Amino acid sequence: MSQLLNSLTTELRRGTLTLAVLSQLRTPQYGYSLVQLLEGSGIIIDQSTLYPLLRRLEKQELVTSSWDTSESRPRKYYVLSAYGAEIFLKLKEEWMKNAKELYSLLEGGEKDGFN
Amino acid sequence: MDLIKIYIQEVTRRLPEKNREDIALELSSTIGDMLPDEYSDEDVNSVLEKLGSPVALAYGYRDKPMYLIGPRYFDVYVSLLKMIFPIALIVSFISIFAEYTTGYSEESLIKVMVSLLSKGILTIFEVGIQFLFWITLVFVILERTDKGNNGQPLTATFKKWKPEDLKDIPYIPKKKTISRIEIFGSLLWIGIWATLYFYAERLLGVYTGSLEGLKLVAPMFNQEILLRYWPLIIIVIGLELTFVLYKLIKGQWTKRVAIFNTVQELVGAVAFIIIIVTPNLLTLEFIDYMTELFSITSTQFMSLIIGGGIFILLISSAMSIFDGFRKAKIG
Repeated sequence: MSQLLNSLTTELRRGTLTLAVLSQLRTPQYGYSLVQLLEGSGIIIDQSTLYPLLRRLEKQELVTSSWDTSESRPRKYYVLSAYGAEIFLKLKEEWMKNAKELYSLLEGGEKDGFN
Repeated sequence: MDLIKIYIQEVTRRLPEKNREDIALELSSTIGDMLPDEYSDEDVNSVLEKLGSPVALAYGYRDKPMYLIGPRYFDVYVSLLKMIFPIALIVSFISIFAEYTTGYSEESLIKVMVSLLSKGILTIFEVGIQFLFWITLVFVILERTDKGNNGQPLTATFKKWKPEDLKDIPYIPKKKTISRIEIFGSLLWIGIWATLYFYAERLLGVYTGSLEGLKLVAPMFNQEILLRYWPLIIIVIGLELTFVLYKLIKGQWTKRVAIFNTVQELVGAVAFIIIIVTPNLLTLEFIDYMTELFSITSTQFMSLIIGGGIFILLISSAMSIFDGFRKAKIG
């Protein structure tokens, strides 16, 4: 039962991760700073999912990356590209719309006595 | 430090060469960020635990599929396997039988049975593995080379699904449909006659039964003369297989299917006639045996074989052609 719930929850969250990551990349971030930012907002992301996701976004040209070697530890920074910013806005709109629709759907269900 | 190095190596060795260095550098930088300035072995352990299994992490980085045949081809793959496997079995049974008619004469029945059984299992195993391997190989290559179609599952027609597809599927009158059984039957028939052709010397002819089992005493065909026609036979097999595939994709009798059927039947009939009128096609032993049996002359016997063969063939071809057009007209 709880295992099924777990896998359903993961599935539910999977699609939103891209949106969450894109939203934080308006300013350049490196891997671990991004993890902390997301965790600060209560979004737990599996790190073994996050790093490959960043690379995929780069391959899709939604973000660009650069190595900063000025500090003692070199860090790879990711930031939204112009194309990425455009996609992000559209995706955000889509999410808002979906969230509203789903919310009213769920609310309606509650009024009918389903919980 | 050592554990971290090993962890990174465990991830990167599963990745394509060109990405390894960059990912290794990023990983080690990330791990450094996650560790406090002064860290113990326990800190390292907890950080690596957070990152999870290196295999899973490496899998995340790979964009090539980690499966042989994906959902796009799986359907077509399985239905083809299901159809071809029983045919492979029957073909191997016939070839075992061919072995049996020539290989053993002096030995006892038990010995023959045991050796046949073990040979049979071995042949079936071999043929099965061969079929599985080649069909799988073709589909694995398809899976990796076909980038088109936007990753959509394939339909039986190998095109992207459209609602219009439905028009071709339901409400086919029962009498018009080409059933899987019909397809299977056609494939089986091709398998049987092709095997008989290539093993004719060992399979077709006059058998005598005794305690030691069946023995082929007079083969019917001169294998050498019969096998001269192999290019023709290959063409006929190719044409028939194409026709079966075409029927499988169409799923119902249409005018085109009926026309294809006609062409296929006519080519088959011409091939048959060319082969059967060849002089010396039948062995002398066989002709002698038959003429004695029915007390007729060999000329009479030959004209009976050629005439009868052609007559039966033309009747059955005509029926098949007619039947095809009749089914195409329904509905």
